[in-house]
This record gives sequence, structure tokens and C-alpha cells, in this order.
Amino acid sequence: MNKSIYLIITMVFFFGLGANWVIQKANSSHTIPEIKLVPNFSFINQDGNPFSNKNLLEKVTVLDFMFTSCAGPCPIMTNNMSQLYQSFEEVGEVQFLSITVDPETDDQKMLKTYAAINGVSDERWQFLTSDIESIKNLKRDGFMLYADELPQGHAIKFVLIDQSGVIRKYYDGTEKTSMAVLKKDITQLIKEESH
Amino acid sequence: MLFMNNFRQFSLLSTGMTYLLIFIGGLVRVSGAGMGCPDWPKCFGRWIPPTSLDQLPSHIDPSQFNIVLAWIEYCNRLFGAIVGFIILITTYLAIKYYRHHSRIVWPVVLAFTLTLVEGWLGSVLVDTVLDPITITLHLLLALIIVMLLLFAAQEAYYLDNMDSEKLSQYPSNLRWKFGLLGLCLFIEIILGTEIRGGLEMIRSDNPMVESQFLIDMLGTFKYMHSVLGISILILAGLLWYQLMRLSKNPSRIMQYCSTIVLILIFVQIISGELLVFIDVIPLIQLFHLWIASWILGLVMIQYTAWKHSQLSYE
Repeated sequence: MNKSIYLIITMVFFFGLGANWVIQKANSSHTIPEIKLVPNFSFINQDGNPFSNKNLLEKVTVLDFMFTSCAGPCPIMTNNMSQLYQSFEEVGEVQFLSITVDPETDDQKMLKTYAAINGVSDERWQFLTSDIESIKNLKRDGFMLYADELPQGHAIKFVLIDQSGVIRKYYDGTEKTSMAVLKKDITQLIKEESH
Repeated sequence: MLFMNNFRQFSLLSTGMTYLLIFIGGLVRVSGAGMGCPDWPKCFGRWIPPTSLDQLPSHIDPSQFNIVLAWIEYCNRLFGAIVGFIILITTYLAIKYYRHHSRIVWPVVLAFTLTLVEGWLGSVLVDTVLDPITITLHLLLALIIVMLLLFAAQEAYYLDNMDSEKLSQYPSNLRWKFGLLGLCLFIEIILGTEIRGGLEMIRSDNPMVESQFLIDMLGTFKYMHSVLGISILILAGLLWYQLMRLSKNPSRIMQYCSTIVLILIFVQIISGELLVFIDVIPLIQLFHLWIASWILGLVMIQYTAWKHSQLSYE
């Protein structure tokens, strides 16, 4: 019996070592690649204030392309963005951007109403608009996303941008699981910057 | 007879393997690999997880892919399948050789049925992106399975060793104390998983908050867990006194189990306080849960041994 107890203690010790190795591997596996710098752009937000790529600096940004009258995946995307906006309520280092792909309909007034409907009460979530060509260029060349047949053909991706204005990762904006990953990645970027 | 002995070996093997599976399941949880495979039963649409992004099927978002987490979760599923198969063999042997011994065959059949339910719960976990209640249920079922297997193995042992508790005389009024201890242990484990689930929920809503602050936010929950822990220690101490000091010739198995249970409860109280007052260290979290499952199993062995001595005494 004594022998068995020693055997069990030894086994448990090795399980502990193994588990520790696995936990460390898992912790160090969360690397977020650097894709490319967001190019220069200058749009206006729902309050009529300018918003350019410079406003991306020193903040972690989650960005998507949408339009307010979209009945397809946009409501799911907006709902997911809204949940993120609420989750990071206390965290000033995170901002959310939704760029319309239908600037003709989504003028500043419409975007302001849409923001209010979605409970936006501060500058952490801004809705941007510009002329269609600038939006198309930014989407296609800046973010490497599909930009033909707008507004219907807009991408459903959320883009994560770091504090230096570099695109880090893309997420399916309609997927619950992807949102859990995105949340973790936002937290990681903030923690990396503060260390 | 040879095959009947095989049943004992298999029941012990399935008990040991299920304990190991509980450990691996806990490891999946503390390493954050629960959604390592976003689909079920396959992992990223494959029976063997992908090793690079270009192997991903088009319908799964590549942002969900983390090769380390995918393989951790995959090992858990693979090991789960192996354990399921061993329990199936154990069930077959029980039905074939012990079909007239309801105290052996029914626990094993029930354990196997619950194992199938566990597999299904695994898929629910993936569908619901780790719903906290399902996680708790997943663990509770695993604990019930391991206790059933342990009970069946011990019963089979007594069948072949009728006299092993014959000389032991324990106090006869211990049934309710065992029942109370078992109940407290189950509630304690549920409280523990609720604390962990609560931590994760608060963390999910407030991603930037530190673990220590999260623990403070849990308030009375953690005190209930500590108070019940102390109550369990007192109850187990009382049982130890009655089984060791107020009994005649306690069997060796009873001596070992009673002492180890007390030691492990001490270990649990210390590790629990470390988690609350120092930091939520994943490795300690993992062992805290795993040791809790051992205590439950050891109390089960104590109870079955006590029950057998009562039967032989009568």
C-alpha cells in the first residue's frame, strides 16, 4: 500500500509538470500577427466632426463596414459591436468604428439617429461617412476587403487595429465564437501596451 | 473466473481513466482551450485538427484557429473517446458475468449511459460557446460516473473477498453522516464551479479587471465556499474519529481512506485560500478541482466498506 501511495504521488507530480507545460504553451500561443498599416483617410463622424487615421493612434480599434438600412447580416454585426461596446464600457483605450458603405442614404443625421438607437452615448463608438469612392478605396486597398457591389456586397468582417494604427486581425462579425476570440485579443493588445 | 477478474481490472482501469479525464477536462478549462475546436465532433471540419491556416474549411472563421488550443481540446476528446470505449468493455463484462448482481451491473450500465450523455453535453458546450450551467453539469456527471464505477469495482472486490470487512466493527449510526458529508461535498463542488463560472462571467463583462478584484466582487459566494469547506473538515474529522477510535479492527482500506480524506481536505483548504488571497493560479485551480473529485471517491469507498461491515455484522 505504501508503495502504491508513493507511485500515485510521483504520478501526480508528473501530471502537474505536464499540466504546467500545457498551460504555459496555451498562454504563449496567443500571438496576434501584424498585417499592415491603415492608410491615410479623413472621414466625418455622426456629429459632423472629422475622423482620420490619426485618431486610430493610442487606441485599440474595432472597425466594420455596414449600412443602416441593411437587413442581412448587419443587425447581427451591429448587435455584436454593441455588446463589445458595452463590455469595454470602463476601458477608454478601446474604440469602435462603423463605416457606412451607403453614404447616399446614411448621411450624418441618419448615422446620429442609428447611433442613438443602438445606445451609443459617448465617443467610444463612432459612425463614419465620406464619399463612396473614398470609402470603396479604403475598404479595398486599405483593408483588403471586398468592395464591389456596394452597399449589398459589403464584408461581414470586424477588423482589429492596434495602438499604432496597424491592422492585426480579421473576425467574422456574425459569429459568437469569433467575438469571444476578439474580446480576448482586445484585452491582450491593451495589456501588451501597458507592460 | 478469469474473465470475472478481468471485470475488476477493467472497472479499476475505467475508474482511473475517468479520473484522468476529469484532470484533462480541468486542464482544458484552465488553459482556455474549451473552444479550441469550434465544431463537434470534428475539429475545424477534420478528424485530425489542422496544423496550418490553409487547411481550414471555408465555413469556419480563421480568427478562431489557435493550433495549441485546438490540439489541447482534441486530446481531451480523443482521451474521452478512449475512456468511453473502456467503460463500454467494462459494461459488457458486467452484463456478461455479473448480471445477477444488481449492485454491480446497474451502476456500470448507468455509468455507461451517463458517458453517452457526457459526449452529447460536449457538443452542447461547443454550440453554446461554453454555457456555464452546462459546464457545471458536465463536471457533475463525470463525478457521478467515476463514483458509480468505483462502487461497482469495490462491490466486485467484496464478492471475491467476502471476509475483508468481517472483523471490522464500526458504529452503526453513520449512514446519515456519510450522506451529509457526500451532500456537502457535492454542494461544495457546485459552489466552487459557480465561483469559477462567476469569475469568468465578470471577466467577460469587464475584460480588463484583475483576478484579485474579480474575487472580491464575488462577495458572499467565496465565504460560503470557505465556511462549507471548514464544515466538511469537521464532519470528516468526526467520521475519522468514529471509524478509527470508536471502531474495532478497522480494515486497512478504511484506515487509509479516512486518513487520506482528512489530509486532502487540509490540502484543499490551503489551496483554496491561496486562490482567494494570493492569486488565481491555473495549476492550483486545476488541482483544487481534481483533489475534490478524489475526496468524493474516497468517501464513497469509506461508505461502501462501512456498509459491508454492517452487512457481515448483521
